[in-house]
Amino acid sequence: MINDSTLISELEKRFNDNKRAIAELQELTEQLKTVNKMLEESEALKSHFISNIRNEIINPFTSILNLSKQITSMTDIEKAKKSAALIHSEAFFLDFQLKNIFAAAELEAGETYPQIYSVNVLSTVQNLIDSYQGSLSAKKLEITLNSSIDTEFSFKSDPGKLSLIYSNLLNNAILFSKDGGMIEISLSFEFDSMIFTIKDNGIGIETDKVKVIFDRFKRLDNTINTLSSGYGLGLSVAKAITDMLNGTISVESIVGQGATFSVVIPDVHIDTEATGTAIDENGMLF
Amino acid sequence: MDKYYLYPATLFASDTSYEVTTVLGSCVAVCLWDNVKQIGGINHYMLPLWNGQGLATPKYGNIATEKLLQRMLELGCSKSNITAKIFGGGEIIDTQISSFNIGERNIQIAKESLAELNIPIVGLSVGGKLGRKIIYYTETGKVLHKFIEKTLGNS
Repeated sequence: MINDSTLISELEKRFNDNKRAIAELQELTEQLKTVNKMLEESEALKSHFISNIRNEIINPFTSILNLSKQITSMTDIEKAKKSAALIHSEAFFLDFQLKNIFAAAELEAGETYPQIYSVNVLSTVQNLIDSYQGSLSAKKLEITLNSSIDTEFSFKSDPGKLSLIYSNLLNNAILFSKDGGMIEISLSFEFDSMIFTIKDNGIGIETDKVKVIFDRFKRLDNTINTLSSGYGLGLSVAKAITDMLNGTISVESIVGQGATFSVVIPDVHIDTEATGTAIDENGMLF
Repeated sequence: MDKYYLYPATLFASDTSYEVTTVLGSCVAVCLWDNVKQIGGINHYMLPLWNGQGLATPKYGNIATEKLLQRMLELGCSKSNITAKIFGGGEIIDTQISSFNIGERNIQIAKESLAELNIPIVGLSVGGKLGRKIIYYTETGKVLHKFIEKTLGNS
């Protein structure tokens, strides 16, 4: 038996259900929009990436080709030396960019794994600084290295991967420093971990941008294109490698006052293959 | 037979005979095998989904399984001949990964990805509170599996 009030309450219930369904639908639509926007962005990034790569690989190559051709007909040895130095700096940059591109490709293919050796971090970092002497003096940057570890000290990690993390951070510090700036690197070994920090007094990073800085292809500000180069692959490579070595990478920054990046990489003392002990000897076959 | 140790966030596939060892906590490994070509491949991922940030590495389940299949196809496998086995996804108390129920979600994504790719699951040992050590024989598709007390936190 149906009376008016049950009818009304049933109608109300249905209306409410309907409202809820519409609200859910709206929410889903919003989610879909966000996903769509992300897809658009990634599509834009892709084409941007290709044009960037073109600039960053073809341009240095063109200058290397031209400069080396000029050298062959030069009689002035001093002029030739200058050209050779330019060739070296272009080739150095190219080599660095290619290393990052290949590292990213290998990481994404899942083909790279830690190759653990004894690493003398102090000499690694010193060699790194030496190799960047050209770009450091070009921008009249002063660099200091404070180390609380011994010159003979070594710990177990992957030397090639460590070096790529550090060179990305140093490269960034140089790129985002103003002429005549200061870069401070410090090294210490605490709690079984190698701690590397690098501080610059360059342009810095806005607080809300700090979160996305390790994202692939993220360049924080397109307007700084003229001042610096790189397509943001370096930091995402550094982050992925740090993860692989069970470490952490972080950044603190104040806009206009510079940024400090820290990398903490734990010593590998346990043979990875021996992790865990068998509960019993009964293996199962699947 | 050659030996290979599979690290987290990596994958491996070969058309020659390999013995691939990996140790799993909350991580999941998907073993794919083509029974006609007798080619096997395995991944080892740590988290279920790539959120579009950072590199799209096989650290993430949705990426890892797709990439593994791609690698198998490059080696000449046919999708219709491929079967899958899933291991890992235990609820190990893990300081490195803070998310809750990570093992369960890792297992879920393996099943979903394989269902989407139409690859049948022919064997699995997942979940529980223990870690696992598995040895995968790429030529036969067999997996030797042992429960272990997990001592390291990241896989």
